[in-house]
Amino acid sequence: MKLTGLAAKMLLLTVGALLVGCTAVQPWERGNLAKPQMALDPYPLQNALRAHNYGSREAAAGGNAAQGGGCGCY
Amino acid sequence: MAVIKDAKKQPDLSLQVLTTAALMLPGLLSPVAHSAEGDEVDFQYSHYQEGKRNISTVATDLLIGSNSVAGIKSFNPIEVESLHGSAKISLTDRVKFAFNYTQDTWGGATPMTTAPAVFNTNFSLLAADGLTVVGATPYLRGEKPILLDSQKNPLLANIDPNTGENIYIKNNQLTHTISYASPETRKQGDFKLTYEWDEAAVSVGGGISLEDDYESRFGNIGGRWDLNQKQTTLNLDLSYTNSDTHAIVNHDAAVYYDRSAYELRGKIEKIKSLDNKEILHGNRQDWATHFGVTQIINKDALIGADVSYTRSTGYMANPYKAVNVVFIDPDKQFDPPPSGFQGSLQALAEQRPEVRNQWNLGGRYVQYINPLDAALHFDYHFSADDWGIQAHTFEADWVQPVGYGWTVTPRVRYYSQDAADFYTPWLTTQQGFNFNKDANGNAIVLPYDPSKLPTNFSSDQRLSGFGALSGGVTVTKQFTKGLSLETGFEYYTHQGGLKIGGGGEGAFSNYDYWVANAALKVDLAALSLNGGGNAHTGHQHHNHGVHAPAGVMFDHMLSKAGDFMVGYRYMYGSQGDPMLHDSNPVGDQAIVANGCSPNPCFLASDSMTMNMHMLDIMYAPTDWLTLMLMPQFMDMNMSMRRLDGAPSDDLAVNNVGNPIDPSTGTPFNIGQHIQHHIQNGHETGGIGDVSLYAMFKLFDNGMHHVHITPGFSAPTGDVDIQLQRNHKVEGGFIHYGMQLGSGTWDFKPSLTYTGHVDQFSWGVQANGTVRMEDQNKSGYALGDMFQATTWGSYNLTNWLTASVRGMYTLQGAIKGQFNGQINQYGPMDYPQNHGGKYWDVGFGLSAAVPSGDLAGNRVSVEWLQPVEDNVNGYQLERDGALSATWSYHF
Repeated sequence: MKLTGLAAKMLLLTVGALLVGCTAVQPWERGNLAKPQMALDPYPLQNALRAHNYGSREAAAGGNAAQGGGCGCY
Repeated sequence: MAVIKDAKKQPDLSLQVLTTAALMLPGLLSPVAHSAEGDEVDFQYSHYQEGKRNISTVATDLLIGSNSVAGIKSFNPIEVESLHGSAKISLTDRVKFAFNYTQDTWGGATPMTTAPAVFNTNFSLLAADGLTVVGATPYLRGEKPILLDSQKNPLLANIDPNTGENIYIKNNQLTHTISYASPETRKQGDFKLTYEWDEAAVSVGGGISLEDDYESRFGNIGGRWDLNQKQTTLNLDLSYTNSDTHAIVNHDAAVYYDRSAYELRGKIEKIKSLDNKEILHGNRQDWATHFGVTQIINKDALIGADVSYTRSTGYMANPYKAVNVVFIDPDKQFDPPPSGFQGSLQALAEQRPEVRNQWNLGGRYVQYINPLDAALHFDYHFSADDWGIQAHTFEADWVQPVGYGWTVTPRVRYYSQDAADFYTPWLTTQQGFNFNKDANGNAIVLPYDPSKLPTNFSSDQRLSGFGALSGGVTVTKQFTKGLSLETGFEYYTHQGGLKIGGGGEGAFSNYDYWVANAALKVDLAALSLNGGGNAHTGHQHHNHGVHAPAGVMFDHMLSKAGDFMVGYRYMYGSQGDPMLHDSNPVGDQAIVANGCSPNPCFLASDSMTMNMHMLDIMYAPTDWLTLMLMPQFMDMNMSMRRLDGAPSDDLAVNNVGNPIDPSTGTPFNIGQHIQHHIQNGHETGGIGDVSLYAMFKLFDNGMHHVHITPGFSAPTGDVDIQLQRNHKVEGGFIHYGMQLGSGTWDFKPSLTYTGHVDQFSWGVQANGTVRMEDQNKSGYALGDMFQATTWGSYNLTNWLTASVRGMYTLQGAIKGQFNGQINQYGPMDYPQNHGGKYWDVGFGLSAAVPSGDLAGNRVSVEWLQPVEDNVNGYQLERDGALSATWSYHF
């Protein structure tokens, strides 16, 4: 599938660019990164609910692996 | 947890912060599991409210008799009440266990098909004045003649007042055909077990989601690998989901839409004994995999990228959606408009491809904003599948701590998708539609030639082209001792016009919703870091050595000013055969004759179950007063059966007089709803009454303790839940016992005595409920209640206690009755068949964690076994009740 190849290339490029462009951050320099507001998902509880609402109203797949969620048949 | 324990031994604050920071990173970098963030117990409630949808109907001017298309609002938009509880616990330093429970109850109006408005598929219902629109009833085959011009545009026929001849007006306005669904509940439980190394983790999880018409089971495995001194984290997940649809075909809609395509493939089961109940069966399987990378860019930013692939096979259609098709039969063009066509409107159960491959690619960027101590999150995802849908999602939020433990997070999200290849609002086809069924009503062949129709078709707006814009705010407050409150609000608007590049679906399919949520989070790890749990290893003192059985409320106070307790209380109760009159089992004949006086009974409930989830938040402002707030969430379901010897359904009545059918001039036959009651169990759920109590200490000498508890409950639970409309007749109010609250402000006093010596403890309690209003907004009041209970407990070990209890309950019958329509089919629909006198014995166990990180946690269960029921009127016998509680005292 053409899209598959495109996706793989983009991912590879992104990862490559990231690894090259990053500066080494020592563990003791990670105070800001460890703050709760810097969490990748600062509100997992609420965001699971939002994802469920979007998931049963929109056709796109969620970014994560399946977590159940029911039919949404209405 | 190893690091936390080490930190406790080492009082150096900076080290503690640093180790906590290091500890948090893996969790922070992992979208797989929240469990790595620490031990936590959370409760969340949310309310989803859709706006009224714009639908169209054909209005007829009574004076001049002309027809025109008019917009009206749909009634009873969808509402969803959700409850979520979760616990994350470290079983050992390296093994984490996370458990989630979710339930949601939804009900309301949903689109079933889409059709040109001139066909009048939403037939408006008028009030007695003949003008006010009070509702709409779905006519899946249209109520007006189906006329098309030569280009197959829909036409509305009118009579020219001057010439008396037909005139035809082209009108391409589309509308959803809306149908209302009675409430139903979904429940989901899932878990995840994670094993963590210093720089890697593996997890395995699974769960099940249950609805009346859908069951889904899923499992997943995942791994995390930290590289490069944890600057880079890789995640890989694989999941499998297997879902069964078994949708009950609505008895009313059944004759108006065609399911032959499924019937001929053996997907429809017919149950003769239940008035020919039809069930549509389907199975689907989903395999999904997800790979993600997270990278720290510098000390203030990190970035993530992920790709996922999902392959789904099997039945992926929505069993409640159909597509309107105009069949233009060349042999039946008896009176077409000039150079146009006449047709018949049919609705065919939608058909979707049985395979779907979906790709999703995206990334997120998180930037720390130093001067404001804030964080900016930006997220983009692209999704594509082989159904022709490509979608883009943009999301940004700004997490702003504002001091004193408050954080405010505004957010915005934009989503856009293309339509699926097989999406179509409606169809026309040049052929006839002819049922061909055997003597039993089973399809022999399709009533149409499928080669003249697309293989797949759906008018589900989720598959249309549209855009959606949403925005909201999250506000959190971190209290001391690891307790935090999280609230959120979001508004969402779905519009065809918001699609990227234009070409989205028309405005008829637009809708919006808002959702509000509130969560209470108890961070057990933070509590143990603060020494919260450990400080109370001697918490026997707090409970005065008394561990009342799980079913007893208000059994203990908090003894020290400033103490907190968070508890969760679950209660399950069930009722089943036989039906009782007073204390005696009673046969169907007697119920038919006397159970619904002055009318006959047609039905009786067969079983009823109730689940209640309560949050128990206690705080002691002083040592002689404890305040207690108790929100509750409940759900119930009831199945019904036809009574032997019941009169014909046609004789059924409601409490306000059966309405007159304007087309016949005779009363509607409301007995047609009886089949729905037999075929579809009834479900309700949502937030119940919230109560507030103040416990005052009257006496305490260390061995004996007495406290008095005045309390109030506020009427926050719904008492106006209605059943869906069928056969042109309103469903009316659902049974008294299935409403979620009392609807009245209630006074709830209690008096409690407890005592203990050595390993023994005991207690006595009297409590009551007095309705402070004569009637609620729906016109009735539940009976007052008095309860007396006494118990004895023995500490089997230093952590396990067993109890035995006796209880007497007296509850009055319902006063008044529904001030609106209730279709009275069985004893449960009459006020006199509620309340009674009950005797129970209870057997309980209670376990406390005596020491360690989880000290202060207590779990108790109790089974209440009915000894005798003496019911008012005619009611089901009680099977028993289970209570389970968890509490954390700090």
